[in-house]
Amino acid sequence: MDAAVRVRGLVKDYGRTRALHGLDLDVRRGEVLGLLGPNGAGKSTTLRVLLDLLRPTAGSVEVLGRSPQEGGAALRARIGYLPGELALPPRVTAGRHLGHLAALRGDGTAARVPALAERFGLDLRRPLGTLSKGNRQKVGIVQAFAPAPELLVLDEPTSGLDPLLQRELRLLVGEARDAGATVLLSSHALDEVEEVAGRVAMVRAGLVVDVDAVGALRARAGQHVRLEFAAPVDRAAFAGLPGVEEVVVEGAVLTCLLRGTPDALLRAAAPRTVVRWSAQDRELEELFLDLYRGRATPAGTPPAAAVGGPPAGVRP
Amino acid sequence: MTAPAGTVLGGELAARRRTLALWCLSLAAVTVLYTSFYPSVGGSKADALLANLPADVVTALGFDDLGTAAGYVSSTVFSLLGAVLTLVCTIGLGAGLVAGAEEDGTLELELAAPVSRSRVYLERLALLWLAAAALATTVVVVLGVLALALDLDLTPGRLAAAGLALALFGGALGTVALGLGAATGRRAVALAGGAALAVLGYVLAYVGPLVDGAGWVRHLSPYDWYIGAEPLATGVDERGGALLVALAVLAGALGLVVFRRRDLLAQR
Ligand SMILES: Nc1ncnc2c1ncn2[C@@H]1O[C@H](COP(=O)(O)OP(=O)(O)OP(=O)(O)O)[C@@H](O)[C@H]1O
Ligand SMILES: [Mg+2]
Repeated sequence: MDAAVRVRGLVKDYGRTRALHGLDLDVRRGEVLGLLGPNGAGKSTTLRVLLDLLRPTAGSVEVLGRSPQEGGAALRARIGYLPGELALPPRVTAGRHLGHLAALRGDGTAARVPALAERFGLDLRRPLGTLSKGNRQKVGIVQAFAPAPELLVLDEPTSGLDPLLQRELRLLVGEARDAGATVLLSSHALDEVEEVAGRVAMVRAGLVVDVDAVGALRARAGQHVRLEFAAPVDRAAFAGLPGVEEVVVEGAVLTCLLRGTPDALLRAAAPRTVVRWSAQDRELEELFLDLYRGRATPAGTPPAAAVGGPPAGVRP
Repeated sequence: MTAPAGTVLGGELAARRRTLALWCLSLAAVTVLYTSFYPSVGGSKADALLANLPADVVTALGFDDLGTAAGYVSSTVFSLLGAVLTLVCTIGLGAGLVAGAEEDGTLELELAAPVSRSRVYLERLALLWLAAAALATTVVVVLGVLALALDLDLTPGRLAAAGLALALFGGALGTVALGLGAATGRRAVALAGGAALAVLGYVLAYVGPLVDGAGWVRHLSPYDWYIGAEPLATGVDERGGALLVALAVLAGALGLVVFRRRDLLAQR
């Protein structure tokens, strides 16, 4: 059995609002998987189902081989969880609260708290209500990692952290994976997860619309390239180059969408004088739009999710 | 591996012990204030005063028997401000322990920890009853000291009976609030439900008997179960106590059943 998380056809309704429309997700043991999607896509809802905070409306969910509800407390003992909207009791100190959460675990959790707190520069003596957003997020990170769980479920773990601590968190995730843990983390931005995640599942409107290795996804997403030449150029010299799309030439300025390696484009540009150039990774949202138009997949394989079109957000 | 029993309770107690101590202090202060007036307004002086008032008004105010120490303390501390303070504390606590913590999101990490929903609920319920017991014990101890100091005719057995009734009353209505909050996830519902039952109980107990032929409605009142038999004068009221316990068991069980089944942290 090598699936840490197995979700099939997960439907979740909040009252009359349908948040998940039959979501499928597999997380392999020992991998880091990024759950990527825009606001309201259903990331937090999915993760909360795994923790048995929410019960599925339909579909099947297995976490470490058990259903979250049947697995109960014993299953949660094997999971570390960082909520997307972390709320902490304001008058309790960070140390006391982490001590309480560690006491709920038993085992060696409490012993691992000080080192983690030190690593993230968290002052354990301060009341939680006096901490900045980033410092509160550190409390969430420490309590999630301190049990050294088999499965880490992290809902937007980098939110509120400065770049240095974001890097520290990525290191921590990498270490957990190296130690054999499985990590499922959510994010809005591909660049936040691409360094640490092996695969990415893209969620939109309550469905996983695509799962792929990070590198492949990045190549598919492409870059906006802008080249400014010393003299006007001919569009024909660039249109049709491998990996180059949407070529637009206005006088001496060329813009295009580049997928894959830039080699061909650079060779075509090299005989001319380039005075300025820029290449920008495309926003995730554009990638989602591509998926709906059925464009972003390698030739010949239409994306499964695009076939049925976007699902409705609300049931009639 | 799950935590030893009492871990959830201990965490809540640590976070709330200062507030609870303040409640006990204010309850003690009110008890001292009222009771220390007894030598100057109680006894035969009160009887003379009340003789001038219409009998119905005296009944509605709960001042039937100010002539004895037990009657005076019962009418003032146990029927009025002492009961009100106890209820405000236990109903507020009951609403905050589950629904309040769920609404402000602080319950999420505990629910994600390896403790069952039942334990999260029951250990919080246990803390509520601990608080109710602490409040009632405060009143009993303060009254015991005052009885010695002012030479009042309050026996330890009767004091304990009245204290038990107060603990059951506060605990039961707090449990109603906690159960409602756990069932709905809404603090406002919990507070409103607990407060409404308290006020309704008071009205049924005192106003009901004034209406011809409607005297029986007071038997529906938790307030009447609590103090209708005057435990400070007559000792433990098994029937009233049993009814309060039944109310608590019912509300507590209902809250638990729904809390175990529903989506948590999803109320908007
Ligand atoms: N408690 C709730 N009651 C009603 N609708 C909800 C509730 N929680 C979430 N939703 C709806 O369900 C959908 C999915 O929400 P969810 O929080 O899972 O998204 P998300 O991907 O985590 O978004 P974000 O990136 O903003 O955190 C949204 O349309 C949201 O409005
Ligand atoms: Mg979210």
